[in-house]
Amino acid sequence: MNYPFWDVPLGYGILMGGIAVVHVFISHFAIGGGLYLVVAEQAARKRDDAAALAFLHTLSKFFARLTLVAGALTGVGIWFIIGLLNPAATEALIHNYVWGWATEWTFFFVEITAALLYYYGWERMTAAAHLTVGWIYFAAAWLSLFVINGILAFMLTPGKWLTTGNFWDGFFNPTFWPMLVLRTGVCVMLAGLYALLVAAPYAAGDFKARTVRTLTTWGLVGLAVTVAAGYWYWQAIPAEITTAALQMMPSPMRALRAAIWLAIALGVLLLVCRAMARQLPVALAVVLMAVGLAWFGSFEMFREGLRKPYAITGYIYGNGTEVAQVEHYRTDGYLSHIAYRSGDDGADLFRHACRSCHTVTGFKPLKPAFDGTDREFIAAIVRGTHLLKGHMPTFFGTAAEADEVAAYLFSRIDQRPLEQICAERGESVGPKAYAMRCGKCHPIGTASDKSVSFAGLDSDGLNGVLDMAASLGDGMPAYTGSPTERAALVAYMQTLGSQVTK
Amino acid sequence: MTLPNYEFLSAPLWLVTTLHLLTLSLHFVAMNFLLGGALLVGHVARRGGGNTPMQIRLTRLLPTTMAATVTLGVAPLLFLQLVFPRQAYAAAIVSGWFWLLVVAAVLIAYAALYLCAGRSERSGRVSLPPLLLALMGLVYVSITYSAIFTMAERPDLIRALYAKDQSGLVWNPEWSDYLLRWLHMVAGAVTVGGFCVGLLGRNDPETYGTGKSFFVTGMALAAVLGFGYLLSLLPILVAFMRTPAIWALTAAIILSLGSLHFFFKKQFAASGVMLFLSLFGMVYARHTVRLLKLAGQFDPASWRVAPQWGPLVLFLVCFVLALAVVAYMLRLFFSPSERPA
Repeated sequence: MNYPFWDVPLGYGILMGGIAVVHVFISHFAIGGGLYLVVAEQAARKRDDAAALAFLHTLSKFFARLTLVAGALTGVGIWFIIGLLNPAATEALIHNYVWGWATEWTFFFVEITAALLYYYGWERMTAAAHLTVGWIYFAAAWLSLFVINGILAFMLTPGKWLTTGNFWDGFFNPTFWPMLVLRTGVCVMLAGLYALLVAAPYAAGDFKARTVRTLTTWGLVGLAVTVAAGYWYWQAIPAEITTAALQMMPSPMRALRAAIWLAIALGVLLLVCRAMARQLPVALAVVLMAVGLAWFGSFEMFREGLRKPYAITGYIYGNGTEVAQVEHYRTDGYLSHIAYRSGDDGADLFRHACRSCHTVTGFKPLKPAFDGTDREFIAAIVRGTHLLKGHMPTFFGTAAEADEVAAYLFSRIDQRPLEQICAERGESVGPKAYAMRCGKCHPIGTASDKSVSFAGLDSDGLNGVLDMAASLGDGMPAYTGSPTERAALVAYMQTLGSQVTK
Repeated sequence: MTLPNYEFLSAPLWLVTTLHLLTLSLHFVAMNFLLGGALLVGHVARRGGGNTPMQIRLTRLLPTTMAATVTLGVAPLLFLQLVFPRQAYAAAIVSGWFWLLVVAAVLIAYAALYLCAGRSERSGRVSLPPLLLALMGLVYVSITYSAIFTMAERPDLIRALYAKDQSGLVWNPEWSDYLLRWLHMVAGAVTVGGFCVGLLGRNDPETYGTGKSFFVTGMALAAVLGFGYLLSLLPILVAFMRTPAIWALTAAIILSLGSLHFFFKKQFAASGVMLFLSLFGMVYARHTVRLLKLAGQFDPASWRVAPQWGPLVLFLVCFVLALAVVAYMLRLFFSPSERPA
C-alpha cells in the first residue's frame, strides 16, 4: 500500500502473462539453442560436414537476433511490468535477492557478449576458438537460468526462509531442483523446436532428413525430461498448496490439464516430424512451434496460478497486501495505510483489495457477478473473499471499508431486481440466483457443494435455510434477495435436493 | 511466526551507491555512443556522405552497441530500485503506459538497427529510414527516462498527479525540471558519439574530422545546457555548492576539456579515460542533486543495513570472472586466425 495503483482496463494477468510467456519461450531457447549449436558444430567439424556448418551458421544468425533482441528485451520488459503491477512484491524480492540478480546479470553480460562473438566469429575465428566461445555462451546462459530459477521457485515455495530470512534458505527452496531440471528439459526441447523451424525450408534430401531426425531427438528427449521433472515438481510442492489447488482453484488446474494434453500433442507431432524427416513441411514446423508456445503458456499459467492468493507464498498477497501487516490492517483499516489516494475512498479500496485480479466490466469482471444483487450482499462477499472459490486473498480492512467497496461496486452494477435482468436475458432466475448467492462458495459438483443438505427439505424448510443463512457458517452472507428471487431460488434448491435423493 | 522484514539493504549503502554510479556511468558510455553514433551516421548520410566504408562499419556496430547499452542498463536500474524503490516505482506507475512503452521502443529501435546494418552492408549506402526509426525510439526512451526519474524526485508531484489520474497516462508536466537535463544528456551523447567515431576513424581524415566536429560541438552544447540546468536548480543550488559534488562537477568540467585536448592530439587513451572520469563526475553530481531534492522526504541512509556477505562476495567474484571471461573471448575474437570457422 506504499505505492500508487496502476488502474488500466486490461487484466494484470494478461499484461504479465503476455510479456512473460513470450520471454520464457525465447529465453529457454536461448539456452537450449546455445547447447545445440555448439554440440552440433563440434560434431559437424569432426565429420567435416560443410552442409551442417552452413545450416548452423544460418541458425546462429536467427538465434542471435531473436535471443538478443526479443529475448533480452522481453526480459527487461518483465522487470518493467512487475514493478508496475506489484511493486511491493518486487521491492521485497529485490531487497532479499539483489545479489542473486546482480550475479545473474554477470552471467547475462557474458552470455550476450558470447552470443555476439559466436555469431560474428563464424567469419573470423579459428574453429577451436569459436567452439570455446560457444561453450562459454551455453555455460553462462544455463547459470543465468540457475540463478533466476532460485528466485522464481522461491515465490511459490519460500520454505524455511519464512522463519529464517536467510538468502540461501529461500534460494535452495523445496522446488528449486525439480524446477531447474524441468526448465533444463524445456531448453533442450525448444532447441529442437526452433531449429526445426529453420531446417524445414531446406530442400528435401539426406541432409534435411539427418538434421530433422537429430532435432526431433532433442525435442523428444527434452520433452521426456520435462514430463518426468514435472511430476517431481508436483510432488515437491507442499501438500497444502496442491490440496488447495485441487479443491478450490479451477484456473491453474485447467491450465495444468491443458499443459498435459499439449505435451502429448507435442510428443505426437515430434514423432510425425521424425517420420517425415526427409520432407518436413514448413507448416508442420510452424504448428509444432505454436503448440510448443501454447504448452509453455499453459504450464506458466499453472505455475503462476498455483501461488494464489499470494505473490510470495505466505508473505505478500497477490494484491500487494503484506502478511506481516495484517494485524495493522485489521485494527487501522486499509485506508490509513494507502500512501497514494485519489480522493475516492471506495475506488482506492477497490483498487488495492480487488483490482489487481478483477475489473468492474473488463477482465474477470465483477459487474456480472453482482448484477441484480444488493449492497449488503456485496459487502458480505467482500468480507468473505477468502472463502470464495478461486483461493482469493482475505479482505483485512474494517467492516466500514468493506461497505465502501460494496458501495463502489453497487453504484456500477445493474441495480434492477435479478428477475427483471434474467427476464431480459432469457435466463432462469433460480439457477442464476443460486450461482450468484450460493455458488460463489458452493459450486455444484465440487468439494464444497452443499446441495446434499437440501435433500428432503420442502419449500418451508429451504426458506428456513435462507432465513438463517448468515448464521450457518463463518462468512456466510444473509439472504437479501427479493421475494420473487427467493421463490425461484427455493424452487431450484428443491430440484437440487431431489436430484440428490434420486 | 515473525516474518522476515524486507526493508533493508543487503550491503553497506556506500558500496551499493558506488556500484550504482559505476554501472550507470558504463551504461551512459554505451548509450551515448549509441545515440551519438546513430545521430552522426544519420547526419552524414542525410548530407549525402553515407557511403564510406567507415560509415558502413559504424552502422554495423550500432546493434552491438545497443546490446551493450541494454546489458549495462540492467545493473544500475537494479541498484536504483534497491535504494529508491518507493520513488522510482511510484513515478513509473503514474506514467505506467509511457514507462512500459520504453520496452517496445527499445525493441523497435534494436530491430531497426539490425535492419539498417543489414541493408547498408548489402547496398553499400547507409539506409536512412530504419536508422531514423531507431533514432526516434532512442529519443523516446531518453526523454521518458528523464521525465519519470525527475518525477521520482518529487513525491508531492507524484501524489498530485495520481490524485487526478490513475490510468498511467500521465506525462510529467514539469518540463522545466527535466528539459534542460535531457537536452544536456543528448548533447553529451553527441560528444561521446563524436569521440568514438573519431577513435574508430583515427586513420581516416574525413571520419576523424567528422568525429572531431561532433565532439567539439557536442561538448559546447552540453556545457551551455548543463550550465542552464544548473541554474534551474536554483532552490537547491546553495546546498549543492556545499557538497563535495561541486568539486566533482568542477573536476568533471576540467577533465572534459582535457579529454578534448588529448583528442586533438590523437592521444585517444588519455582522452577516453578523461572523458569517462568526467562522465562519472557528472553522474555523481547528478546523484547528489537527487539526494538534495529528496531531502526531508527520504534519505537513503535511513535504510537498515543487514549485509548478505555470502551472496555479495559471490556477486563480486562472478563480476571479476565475467570481466576476465569477456576479455578472454575478445582476445580469441581479435586474434588473427589461420583458418576461419
